[in-house]
Amino acid sequence: MVRRGFLKSGGLALLGVGLMGGIPGFIAEAAAGEKIISPYKKRKTLICIFQRGAMDGLMAVTPFTDDYLKNARPNLFMSAAKTGNNSPLIDLDGRFGLHPSMKAFEPMFREKRLGIVHGIGSPNTTRSHFDAQDYMESGTPFNKGTASGWLNRAVGLLGHDALTPFTAVSMTSAMPRSFYGDNPSVSISNLQDFAIQLRGNQSGANLAARSFEDLYDKTTSGLLQQTGKESFDAMKMLQKTDLKNYKPTNNAVYPNSALGNSLKQIAQLIKMDVGLEVAFAESNGWDTHFNQGTDNGIFGRNVADLSNSMMALWTDLAAYQDDVTVMTMTEFGRTVHQNGTGGTDHGRASCNFILGNAIAGGLVHGNVKPLAVENLEDGRDLAVTTDFRSVFSEVADKHLGIDNDHVLFPDWKGDRIGVMRS
Amino acid sequence: MKKTVKYLVSIGLLVLGFVVFSSFFMSVPNAKAVKFPYRLSGLTERQAAAHLLSRFTYGATPGEIDQVVKSGLESWFNKQLEASLPDDSLNQMLAKFDALKLNNAEIVSEYPKGNQVLRMAISDGVVNKDSVNKNRNAYKDVLKKYMDDNGMKPEQELYREFINQKVLRSAYTNNQLQEVMTDFWFNHFNVSITKGDCAQFIPDYERDVIRPNALGKFNDILLATAKSPAMLYYLDNFSSVAANNDYMAGRGLMRRQIMQNTAVIEDTTQRAKLQKARKTQGINENYAREVMELHTLGVDGGYTQQDVTQAAKVLTGWTIYPMGQYNKGVKKAVDKISSQRFEKAGFVHDGDFLFNSNRHDNSEKVVMGKHFGPDGGYQEGVNLLAMLAHNPSTAKFITKKIAVRFVSDNPPQSLLDKMSKTFMEKDGDIKQVLITMVDAPEFWNASAVREKTKSPFELAIGAARSLHAEITQPYQLYNWVNKMGEKIYYYQAPTGFPDKGQYWINTGALLNRMNFGLALASGRIPGIRIDLAALNNHHEPESAQAALVTYCQLIMPERKLDETIKHLTPLLNDPTLMQKVDEASANTPPAQMQQAATMDNMAVQDSGDMKGRGKGLKNKKNNFIAMQNNGGDNSMLSQVVGVIIGSPEYQRR
Repeated sequence: MVRRGFLKSGGLALLGVGLMGGIPGFIAEAAAGEKIISPYKKRKTLICIFQRGAMDGLMAVTPFTDDYLKNARPNLFMSAAKTGNNSPLIDLDGRFGLHPSMKAFEPMFREKRLGIVHGIGSPNTTRSHFDAQDYMESGTPFNKGTASGWLNRAVGLLGHDALTPFTAVSMTSAMPRSFYGDNPSVSISNLQDFAIQLRGNQSGANLAARSFEDLYDKTTSGLLQQTGKESFDAMKMLQKTDLKNYKPTNNAVYPNSALGNSLKQIAQLIKMDVGLEVAFAESNGWDTHFNQGTDNGIFGRNVADLSNSMMALWTDLAAYQDDVTVMTMTEFGRTVHQNGTGGTDHGRASCNFILGNAIAGGLVHGNVKPLAVENLEDGRDLAVTTDFRSVFSEVADKHLGIDNDHVLFPDWKGDRIGVMRS
Repeated sequence: MKKTVKYLVSIGLLVLGFVVFSSFFMSVPNAKAVKFPYRLSGLTERQAAAHLLSRFTYGATPGEIDQVVKSGLESWFNKQLEASLPDDSLNQMLAKFDALKLNNAEIVSEYPKGNQVLRMAISDGVVNKDSVNKNRNAYKDVLKKYMDDNGMKPEQELYREFINQKVLRSAYTNNQLQEVMTDFWFNHFNVSITKGDCAQFIPDYERDVIRPNALGKFNDILLATAKSPAMLYYLDNFSSVAANNDYMAGRGLMRRQIMQNTAVIEDTTQRAKLQKARKTQGINENYAREVMELHTLGVDGGYTQQDVTQAAKVLTGWTIYPMGQYNKGVKKAVDKISSQRFEKAGFVHDGDFLFNSNRHDNSEKVVMGKHFGPDGGYQEGVNLLAMLAHNPSTAKFITKKIAVRFVSDNPPQSLLDKMSKTFMEKDGDIKQVLITMVDAPEFWNASAVREKTKSPFELAIGAARSLHAEITQPYQLYNWVNKMGEKIYYYQAPTGFPDKGQYWINTGALLNRMNFGLALASGRIPGIRIDLAALNNHHEPESAQAALVTYCQLIMPERKLDETIKHLTPLLNDPTLMQKVDEASANTPPAQMQQAATMDNMAVQDSGDMKGRGKGLKNKKNNFIAMQNNGGDNSMLSQVVGVIIGSPEYQRR
């Protein structure tokens, strides 16, 4: 059983006790298990960011030479040339321009560590947020009843038992659809909640914690006994670090936003070496039907938050960059035409961003045809030319070593497009 | 004259007496001469009562085991199956929730979605369309006034009332089994507030679709869910349209009527939408697939993809009757169609449900070998669902799910065989299936007793019941349930929450269960009042040790508690405990004084002038039972009770 793998008991002496100044029980026990090579071998971490609400990919990464787009968006279209007081797009390759509020991404793109896939989306043409998110997170675009999420299945395919309670962590208050399933995963919006707490009575809490630990240690229910042990080990692990007064490395500055806060905590977990391999965070507010704005405005603030949060993480994790890949996703894109209220409506394809040292970066992957009506899906939307599963499976394979697409994306048989360097 | 009145009264009394008398006998047709077979497993009557309560209620209240034993286990169970016990005090509590009395159409009008409000306001000329583009905040106040003026309320308030109601009902209803089964069926036929389109219809769904059918026949609840707006939206069947029919050609009865009446549709956005809608629609298989996979046959129940597609065609045209302010144009137009014309065209209008024959696929369909149509209309779908409801795979799938809920995560095959046999023989009668289950020795087997893990909701409600809590802010309990990993009504997938211990017990959730116990027992959950002294009838335990034993038994009756007591004892004897408690008490900053139900706790303090006689309690008057401050109850008793609620033993049922 995968779930409890890290609790295999064994009589081996603890590895590296002296070195690390005390290894939590679950790691020590994992070390004693059969399959574990070395508990402190650095593990790869995949961080996924879901942009809920459907990001306008055509505004994030604009095919600025396309006159069809220019005509379709008289108030929203931006150019790569400096005009008036507006900030111009950042010209990536002569055809695509990055939104000026994502200037933090530019160096990464130039260094070929940031890749973009344009025209990415789901083969299911639904334009319902709920359905499209559900399909993308379950990884089965034509089956609602899939019980598990694709990232939970990824955890089961890591090729080894989960090493710690922190193998898969979602920085959300409720378990996201991507994490549904039988493999171990935790959702928590604030790591400091990982403690026995009694408001205004810390010593009481500490006493209770001791009683709880003892009770759970002695219970006859295997499930409660094991999970109890994990919980207290995990709690002690986090208590070793001063979570509250965390100082990011290299003066990285996280935006004071939900996403910034989530990524900061993910960085903390990675640095604590608690075995994090799959992490999940959310970014909200992408459903820009009204007053989307151009270089400044709702959309501009959103992409600034996204790019600045990701780059703060990247800077903070300077020593870990080889082991970390960050990938964004969004349920669909938005209409090519602007609507009557200064925004865009639900469309089909969008774009996504992948950050990491093994990315085939510096390129806008995928296939975006000129936005003439005949090239649009249903005559109105950027066509989906790359199945999201193609990209997700390639990243999972190359970064986490998961090559069982049949399990990760059960109904999918397709080709990869080379977003990762081989 | 006087005599006549007397005479009439006595006749009335006689009749009344007869009614009561006969209803007593009428009410127990299921009563068995034989007792439940718990003796076979070595259970005492009290232990059996505890087991029964752990399975069919949200947790035993203090003294409830005595009541069940007194009335007889079998009689208690039959009363629960009838689900007609009076609930006066609960109804009084719920009387203030206005939204819960509304039907769907009223809800849609009173609690419109935010974007609909905006569009209505624009269409009514209250908000200028251009101002929307410039400054969001500028029109917020205007919108709020617009809503107030038109008697509209924020949608979120609807869900808040609904959830408050759920917490109170689960904690206080006398018809516990009905509520537990309501929870079971809601989860089985899951819908989710996360899906905006269906969210508003969920209060009605639980109230009028699930609860009244929770102890009825399976076919009835299946059909009722299939026709409910919540399910029609959640699994998209409302939009499913046959590829070749009048609707797509724009010749349908409703469409003609609507387009002829376009003048009544003031909202141009909506009109454009209507005109466009037809193009993007087609057949939608979602419901057809899930009704087989999740609601009836089970994933290996013997159907193919071909069957799914065919079933989807059978169910085309099953949709929702127009309702609400936002749809008033359409509704007006459709209302104009006379019922005769409606009927003649094969339409069926039943409450919120509409069978729109213009959208229906009239060709002949074959599902699992059975033919439907051609031209069978609405009845095709009814027949399809009845066929599914009576399939042996369904009997197996449903009864197994019931056994997993009420017996153990891995119920024995011998029990499953008995239950599915009853399901088949008794026309899917859920009561009969439950009776077969409790009549089976397997139900009482040691492998079932205490083998289920409480879900977070069961834990929170059960703890409130165990401690006789007075709940004035139910949402506070809901917040904890949420924190412990069960955001009820928000589970996104149609599978519903998995019903197994492994799903509920993970590291983050487990710590929160412990924290919940501590917070609840120390009076730190606002609006949840408990009185630990009253729980023991204000009898002061002789010692700390005695208190530990007493409260363990009160909260977890009829269980082996040696281990729990043994491992809690050191807590009492911690020499530094009192000092720590004192410090905590003294150090609690004023900032934390705000929320807890302080008045209530003060009452306990006043009553608690007992002398600490236990070890470590010397010279510490009041500390044991009544160490209070404004931040909560810091007494050792509350600490002990908190640990009991968070203990592994209490997580089991």
